[in-house]
Amino acid sequence: MTHEPYETQAAVYVLGALDGEERSQFEEHLAGGCVECAEAVREHAETLADVARDAPPMIPPAHVKTDLMRRVSATGSARATRRRSWLRWAAVSAAAVVGVSAFAAGFVASRYEARIGAMARETARVRAELHRQEAELRDRLAVAQGVNDLLSDPAARVVALRGSGPGDEAWGRLVWDDAKGGYLVVANVPAAPAGKVYELWTISGGQPRPAGLFTVDASGRATHPVAPTRSPVDVFAVTLEPAGGVPAPTGPIVLASAK
Amino acid sequence: MAWAAEDLIRQMAEGDADACGRFYDRYARLVYPLILRIVQDSADAADVLQEVFWEAWQAAARYDPARGSPEAWIVMRARTRAIDRVRAVRRRGETFVAPLDEAMAADRGDPAQRAADRVVVADVLERLPEHQREVIELAYYGGLTQTEIAERLKQPLGTVKTRMRTGLVRLREIMKPAT
Repeated sequence: MTHEPYETQAAVYVLGALDGEERSQFEEHLAGGCVECAEAVREHAETLADVARDAPPMIPPAHVKTDLMRRVSATGSARATRRRSWLRWAAVSAAAVVGVSAFAAGFVASRYEARIGAMARETARVRAELHRQEAELRDRLAVAQGVNDLLSDPAARVVALRGSGPGDEAWGRLVWDDAKGGYLVVANVPAAPAGKVYELWTISGGQPRPAGLFTVDASGRATHPVAPTRSPVDVFAVTLEPAGGVPAPTGPIVLASAK
Repeated sequence: MAWAAEDLIRQMAEGDADACGRFYDRYARLVYPLILRIVQDSADAADVLQEVFWEAWQAAARYDPARGSPEAWIVMRARTRAIDRVRAVRRRGETFVAPLDEAMAADRGDPAQRAADRVVVADVLERLPEHQREVIELAYYGGLTQTEIAERLKQPLGTVKTRMRTGLVRLREIMKPAT
């Protein structure tokens, strides 16, 4: 039988168009170690890679890499740990085989494999948790540094905000510089109801401007960075608004500074 | 210094997540337009792109440089996954070759649209004789098998196969002097 049909099949195969029995026959032929066909498949695949390279590149959406790396780093550390552990195990087992029987070594291996797997997963989980905590601490540190810088700035002022209702325990402090912006810290503020969010306003000359949205944690606290305004601020106020915020205040005032 | 792509795949096989990031940075822009051309939907294409690199990460240890370059490896994976997606969509009930027919109908329509499409799809395949370009496009981008193509074009199966092979060999000759 001539080799010719295989040469043609190699091209059809690389284009993903070989079907039916022909496909399984060709795959068997390849697996049988045919050098010419392996080379033909390789060359056609390189040609198609060249065709792809010939097209103008396109930048994919950024979230693809973010999502991919999240999945990858969850398995990567586990895989690396498993490999190192295996090396160590190999040394131990080599010694064990000398003293004990091969059967015993196999038994030990199967037990340790499961334990090493569990340890690797645990390591990966702890690592992810550490990364999360580290990111949170960095955020907090940045806020603390910002507040600290403002406090050592003679132009900065500290503005007190109070709850509007009688007997209202809510309070806030704003470290503020008209040119640099500042930070709002609030406490004793009840969690916003579902579908609502707190919105800060800077009021200059009777004109309120939105200064960002925030939510409070379980203990009723929040820290919220505030961008600088173009004109000096007379009053700061916090209102309860629909989620997503609004361009002008509509909801009840929760906190306000004295004029 | 830039790592050789083979080294990046080896590091991926050893569980180096950074190497996976660098591998993605190097090849995502190459395979994304290919995937998009096949699946014709940017959300689907983004999904497939992530799947391709996720599988490359998992399969890195099985990469054999003797069987092809890293480019060919990732391009082949991208094409296969993209076609899988298209076939899954077709199985869900859409007409068998609707995306292809739509693309071809659009191709014959508004000249401005046609020019715009050309910018995206213009490639070296345009330099093949029409009958060779057609079978390669239907198979490689359209996901049709040789039998389906033969039925569609009302040509003998043998003719379709020969056109595919001649087309690929010709493409290689076209690309060679340029690279």
